[in-house]
Amino acid sequence: MRRSLYLIQEALASLRVNRTSVIIGIVTMAFTISCFGIFALLYGNLKKLAGTLQQDIEVVVYVESQASDKVVEEVRQRLESEQAVETLSFVSKNQALKEFYQHFPDESRMLEGMNENPLPASFVVQITPRFQVSDYIEIFAERVKQFPGVDQVRYSQDWIDTLALLVSYFEFGAVIIGAILAVATITIIANTVRLSFYSRKEEIEILRLIGATGSFIATPYVIEGAILGACGGALALVLLKGAFEFFLLELNASGWFSGLESSLAFFPLQTSIILVLSGMMLGCGSSLLSVFGLMKVRNDAV
Amino acid sequence: MIQLFHVSKFFERCTALHDITLRIDRGECVLLTGPSGAGKTTLLKLIFGATIPDEGQILVQNRNIARLREADIPYLRRTMGFVVQNFKLLPKKTVFENVALPLIIQGVSLAESKKRVREVLKAVGMGHKHTSETGVLSAGEQQRVCIARAIVNNPIVLLADEPTGNLDMALTSEIVELFKTINAQGTTVLLATHNQTVVEEMNGRVIHLQAGRMVSDKGPME
Repeated sequence: MRRSLYLIQEALASLRVNRTSVIIGIVTMAFTISCFGIFALLYGNLKKLAGTLQQDIEVVVYVESQASDKVVEEVRQRLESEQAVETLSFVSKNQALKEFYQHFPDESRMLEGMNENPLPASFVVQITPRFQVSDYIEIFAERVKQFPGVDQVRYSQDWIDTLALLVSYFEFGAVIIGAILAVATITIIANTVRLSFYSRKEEIEILRLIGATGSFIATPYVIEGAILGACGGALALVLLKGAFEFFLLELNASGWFSGLESSLAFFPLQTSIILVLSGMMLGCGSSLLSVFGLMKVRNDAV
Repeated sequence: MIQLFHVSKFFERCTALHDITLRIDRGECVLLTGPSGAGKTTLLKLIFGATIPDEGQILVQNRNIARLREADIPYLRRTMGFVVQNFKLLPKKTVFENVALPLIIQGVSLAESKKRVREVLKAVGMGHKHTSETGVLSAGEQQRVCIARAIVNNPIVLLADEPTGNLDMALTSEIVELFKTINAQGTTVLLATHNQTVVEEMNGRVIHLQAGRMVSDKGPME
């Protein structure tokens, strides 16, 4: 207990003594973690958006305009027997015309003078969640297209696929950038801790002289690294939250992508804690790396 | 207790110790003498496990120093005390904190530490200065604190490398008296010095080194 207290006190004393390098270390580390955080925020929100859009995906099956009621009924029955179909709604030719007039009042003149309604009847299919995979939807659409009486099958998959591709690029980028920034963070902390180690070289020699083990000597530096890492992580979190709120305000004021701001989210509490803990772990690891080779007790202690 | 068998230690361009064989028994008072560069400090370092011999074997309390794992060296050192010429004290810490440090390392309780530190500070005549920072003490006082730190955990062996090197004649006599008292209480003392006064006042076994070789080994004068 007394030994632990001593080690913590030594770590805090070292942080106090090397105040300037500690502050520089924390700020640099906060910026480094923030860079990764921005990337993680973008990735998280894009993934969420892609998931939401994927859930809302609809497949519209257009029936041939000359199809009889019997054929339409057969198409309905075949669609209902498909496992991928969760819900099915029928839009008759008349209903389609009505919706066209409602949604495009300015274009309604286009249909004037036509003897009959040119719009086809259709089935709007909601896909079961477990089949909401772009490859499967494509296969499903191809199969439905072969049904007798079906004219065309349309779904808004292309740009969802593009978004999914973008998300996968972000995923890849996040791993690469994360690795680079982790190395940068380790270097920053390792250097800060190493400076502190060298500034206390005399003290370490004394500890060796009186029988301190390598772990006893290293522990204050590991604690120091953990504190540095946690502070860097916490500061990064504050910076990210500030930048995120500012971005939302700007987005709201600009009027662009209206409604988008409500679907954007900051890191949940769990992720925030993980971010700070990751900083702490990085700090511990960097300190260990930094003092590992300097722990040899056979070094001249006298 | 301490045995050296044909021990040699070489540095890049010189032989620090050459074919040293000796045995030091428990409770002995041994003075290592010789001019600077004779190998006195190297011999102490070898016994302390700060370096390993290039040839020969060293047994300290029946443990072969060269074969000890790095991780075991600190535990060996806890059975020894080491007093150095330049004191090696933490200047910003108090006398009490400096002396208590070996006990903290060993996980001794606060109550026990306080009791033990008070005892040794009284024994070295520094009880009244336990709250002073060591940085403001005189050389003689710093050496006393250094000795107190070396004996606070009741070592079996006390090693001292030129402990009076920075002290005047009067202080030297005081420190010599302290070493004699410690030795009288049963602690083996191995003291390296080139100060003839110390050798005469200590009146112990004298091992004389020259250019890394042991040239004489004489018992105390009757």
